[in-house]
Amino acid sequence: MIGGPRGMLEQEVSKPRSVGKTLGRLTGYFRPYWLVLAGVLVLMVVNAWVQVVTPAMLGQAVDCYLTPAVTAQVATDVANVAAQDQTQPVAAPVTKSDFTCWFGTVPPGSPTSDYVAGLGRLVLALIAIFVLGAITGGLMFYSMGWAGQHVLRNIQEEVFAHLHKLSLGYYSRNESGDLMSRITNDTSTLQQAISFALVQVLSGVLLLVWISWNMLSLNWAYALLSLAVVPFMAIATVWFSGQARKAFRVTRQEIGNVNAELEESISGVREVQAFSREDANIEAFRTSNAANRDANVRAVAYTSALAPSLEALGYVAIAIVAGVGGIFMLQGQTLGGSAVTLGLIIAFIGYVQRFNQPIAQIAVLWTNIQSAIAGAERIFELLDEQPEIVEKFDAKPMPSIQGKVVFNNVWAEYKQGEPVLKQIDLTAEPGQTIAIVGPTGAGKTTLVNLLPRFYDVTGGSVTIDGADVRDVTLESLRRQIGVVLQDSFLFSDTVTNNIRYGRPEATEAEVIEAARLARAHDFIERLPDGYNTVLGERGAGLSQGQRQLLSIARAALSDPKLLILDEATSSVDTRTERQIQAALDQLLAGRTSFVIAHRLSTIRNADQVLVLVKGEIIERGTHEELLAAQGFYYDLYMSQFQRQEQVVQASQPSNGQPPLRMAGQSA
Amino acid sequence: MTADAKRPKREKPSFKNLGRAIRFLGHYRNITIAAYVALFLSTGAQLLVPQLVQNILDAVTRGMMAQQLATQPAQVQSTVVSQAGMTMEEFNSILANPLAPLYWSIALILVLAVVRGLFAFAQSYMSEKAGQSVAFDFRNELFAKIQRLSFSYHDRNRTGQLMIRATDDVEKVRLFIGQGLLLAVQAVVLLTGALIMLLFTNLQLTLVILPILPVAMVMFMVFGGVTQPLFVKVQQKLSTLNTVLQENLAGIKVVKAFATEPTEQKRFDAAADDLMNQQITVARIFSFLFPVIFLIAQLGQAAVLYFGGNQIIAGTLTIGEWQKFSLYLVYVFFPLGQLGFIISQMSQAAASANRVYEILDAHNEVTDKPDAKPLPPVEGAVVFDGVSFRYFGSTDLVLNDVSFSAEPGQTVAILGATGSGKSSVINLIPRFYDVTGGRILIDGNDVRDVTIESLRRQIGIVLQETNLFTGTIRDNIAFGRPDATDEEVEAAAQAAAAHDFITGFPEGYATPVGERGTTLSGGQKQRIAIARALLLNPRILILDDSTSAVDVQTEVLIQNALDRLMEGRTSFVIAQRISTVLTADNIIVLEKGKIVAQGRHADLIESSPIYADIYRSQLVEDPAGETAILAGTEMEVAQ
Repeated sequence: MIGGPRGMLEQEVSKPRSVGKTLGRLTGYFRPYWLVLAGVLVLMVVNAWVQVVTPAMLGQAVDCYLTPAVTAQVATDVANVAAQDQTQPVAAPVTKSDFTCWFGTVPPGSPTSDYVAGLGRLVLALIAIFVLGAITGGLMFYSMGWAGQHVLRNIQEEVFAHLHKLSLGYYSRNESGDLMSRITNDTSTLQQAISFALVQVLSGVLLLVWISWNMLSLNWAYALLSLAVVPFMAIATVWFSGQARKAFRVTRQEIGNVNAELEESISGVREVQAFSREDANIEAFRTSNAANRDANVRAVAYTSALAPSLEALGYVAIAIVAGVGGIFMLQGQTLGGSAVTLGLIIAFIGYVQRFNQPIAQIAVLWTNIQSAIAGAERIFELLDEQPEIVEKFDAKPMPSIQGKVVFNNVWAEYKQGEPVLKQIDLTAEPGQTIAIVGPTGAGKTTLVNLLPRFYDVTGGSVTIDGADVRDVTLESLRRQIGVVLQDSFLFSDTVTNNIRYGRPEATEAEVIEAARLARAHDFIERLPDGYNTVLGERGAGLSQGQRQLLSIARAALSDPKLLILDEATSSVDTRTERQIQAALDQLLAGRTSFVIAHRLSTIRNADQVLVLVKGEIIERGTHEELLAAQGFYYDLYMSQFQRQEQVVQASQPSNGQPPLRMAGQSA
Repeated sequence: MTADAKRPKREKPSFKNLGRAIRFLGHYRNITIAAYVALFLSTGAQLLVPQLVQNILDAVTRGMMAQQLATQPAQVQSTVVSQAGMTMEEFNSILANPLAPLYWSIALILVLAVVRGLFAFAQSYMSEKAGQSVAFDFRNELFAKIQRLSFSYHDRNRTGQLMIRATDDVEKVRLFIGQGLLLAVQAVVLLTGALIMLLFTNLQLTLVILPILPVAMVMFMVFGGVTQPLFVKVQQKLSTLNTVLQENLAGIKVVKAFATEPTEQKRFDAAADDLMNQQITVARIFSFLFPVIFLIAQLGQAAVLYFGGNQIIAGTLTIGEWQKFSLYLVYVFFPLGQLGFIISQMSQAAASANRVYEILDAHNEVTDKPDAKPLPPVEGAVVFDGVSFRYFGSTDLVLNDVSFSAEPGQTVAILGATGSGKSSVINLIPRFYDVTGGRILIDGNDVRDVTIESLRRQIGIVLQETNLFTGTIRDNIAFGRPDATDEEVEAAAQAAAAHDFITGFPEGYATPVGERGTTLSGGQKQRIAIARALLLNPRILILDDSTSAVDVQTEVLIQNALDRLMEGRTSFVIAQRISTVLTADNIIVLEKGKIVAQGRHADLIESSPIYADIYRSQLVEDPAGETAILAGTEMEVAQ
């Protein structure tokens, strides 16, 4: 319908170009929720503290109660034996622990119940800390989710409102399918990032730093040894996930091919069978299906390697912690200036076990955040897209249209320097029907699109009742203009709601009347739920012709002052078209109308016929005048006449009388 | 976990088909077996590590105590050592070389790290590979089945639904076979192994933990059960939102034309709010369930610390054993959680498998008879002998006792109102459907007795709506005869009045079309379809001679091409044009599935009022006819 090259597909997920700017703008959306975010930060710190303190508490349990209890036991045994032998026992060596015992130390020689009591206090505190962790963790995710969802909703609503502001020119450059998938993809990555990934990554980083800090301050040398595997973990994660992403990029293409092939072969299955192409198609499908499988297998090789390599490194870390710690402890050497205790080993085992998960998470979610920023960037780009058609700030409502339409030396172009309409002058008096004929691509649709200001002229002016369409408000203008398009778009809603789309307040009776006028009533009645039948996506389930009838009914009900029919009946079968011709005549009566049609009846009755070729009106006049002029219009008809003559000759021998008369009778 | 008896609500999914799907793994026996062998090895390695950690810690405590004891007089040493149940040699060897067991354990852990890493990779890679291969088989089978299923099946099923089955449903089954199944087995092995290790480590402590397990199990089940429907709801709300978006993008012109932006925005905002609230509900439930589940596991650890600590203090448990115990406890909770998720994944996969098998098991009404022979080269005599036909599942006859015949080379025009059975007549000839009664003969052969391919290859079809396939224009013209030469393709295009517009494209016949190629207009597609049928050079031709959505000039071109196409072939035409019926050898007028009149135009116009009526009301709009009228009038005037 509209010329110009189709927009280039941008399927490749790109990295954000200006992270700072995009993040800054995104932050703006969070401003109303800053209090919640501050709360989230506090919760995050508390939650991380819980995670950090837990291994330390286990270390305390060992160093403050368990080890002393065990050594005391040995000491008691020794003391007992020594008492029998009357030898002086040597005091047990006391290893200084790096942990301060929060719940009190037990002096040597105390009964075992003291150890148990101390341990009990510690376990109770531990349980309290666990509960605190659960509460803060839950609240943190909930609050962030809540704020994130609100932000997302606000962005979505802004985007949607902006989409309505963009002019049709934008939609001719960007296919609706592409726009759709871009918007849904970008918002869904953004949604994941702000309600989930962001918190995960932030708290993961916090946890890693805090744990490392804690380990370092407990025993820096032991900590460095224990953390030796972390760089390898980071490298493994980054490398494997990077490779996996690259591989998955291929799988996306491959599954795209598979889906395209499926879609095509299923929707065209009747032709496939009619031309016996089943075997060839099955063979072709096998190939792309196999390519998809192979690409996926290649990708899962990387994803399958990620977790095991981290796990293996985790085991190495445990071996280092337990082994090195044990060796230094047994040899009684100090490490980093202080002795290693069993509690320290236990705590460090707990710490290194907590490393695996955040590292993997950060690696995986980091790219999610990255592409979310890129997505946000694209969303902002869309929001920054300037609508070409904007109301003037002093636009006044269009008064009730009488119907005098004047095109005054109108030029229009979609691309600079390639005019689609050249020097169009025309005047339609109120109530007149203007028919536009011409070959495909001549600019017929462009011409009528200027009336409801779907596009703006690049030169000259279009006036209705003397008012330039650019000087009035869009809504007041469009509300008074009815448009019936060749590709009639219906909404997935009931038939009734589709018909009263332009006038939601219309009564049931008015809807039925409009449907009758458009000759749609009968088939609507035959639908499963009549007027309440919910139509499938884009009116699926109805034939193209039926959809056109519904959109004629829709236009009729909105009772426009000015009517545009753009190939409105092209898909209606000839018989129905004959029927609705009367309805159309009724509809056109008293309204100024512009009709693009290839059927001749409408054209013949038009007050003016414009012949448009390559953007220029090359002939104009009534049907009879144009025939008499013997120009382009005449040629069009003559070419058919000659053909008809052959048919007449061919049919004459078998037919007593000339068929012309017969046809003439019925005309 | 094989039975799903306890799941509340929802229809009880049948797992029979999932079982059939799993049996597909049999095609990849070696790799599947390898995956499961790797699973046992990697899980074994996993289970050994805590034991080794215990060994290290025990060696450390023992060594420490030995060192402590070594400072005591020999008498004391021997008494204490014998009290601890050790011989002096053992004590001395500990003392002499306290690090030996440590080195061994460290070395073993490092070995296990490698084993675990390699086999965990192998198990997941092999299983994924097997899963992908099964999905590959599934898609192939589905595709082949769908391609061969008769028209009546496709009448009942939309492309979108079939697509979803071949993509989403296959994917869900694959996820289960490639990951879920393996993880379930792994979870069971790990759980059992860890429980056994726990029992052997310390029976008393295990008994303390045991009551927590069912609680955790129930929580995980609840989790799976609660979250699944929530996600379904989110998906629904999301698709509502997307529908509004999609409609406003695709129908932007209608929205703008009717200036309904404000109402549409309200609609969108309502849907967005709905989705947001649902998402927040999900967030609330997750924020509650997740921490609670973790808390249960942590409480288990706290219990182990307290009760285990008591035992340590009492001297019945070593610190190493306790540490091992809490490590194994992780191995108990982890698989429990996994199982919870896998169970919900499994019921999804079962539902998907059912949907996939619905297609694979679908009965194909139209198939070759076992003894079907190829149809010999066709002359073109077609006989309908008392044919009746009804659509699948319908009680109404669409065709009722229809009999007529066509000699080779004749043109049969079929007329009738919408729903009179016109398209059924033409669909029965290439056996897109089978007759319900009577028979159809081509050169005396019942169409049901010959192979479908040999039949259809000799019939050319041009319908009003033309699908083009991805590929070049040439590929599309040669659709039914990929081996055709370039000359033949061009000749067909020329006869179909398509050559000029094709060579008008920069890439000519090599211009890509279809989903991702150049968009052709309705009239151009129709001419490609004519060329495609011409290239087959069929003796029997089926066509719909209506043209729509094209300008007058194109319409004339197309109709001329159709006339050329029909020359010399037995043709069945759903007639819309005067010219067709005027020249037809036989006109069949259908009403409600019955032939109400048949014969040539000259006879029918006199004898059949129905024909006369149709002739006037349906066929006059032929643009060519109209021109003739005009021209005729003018000629008369001129005369």
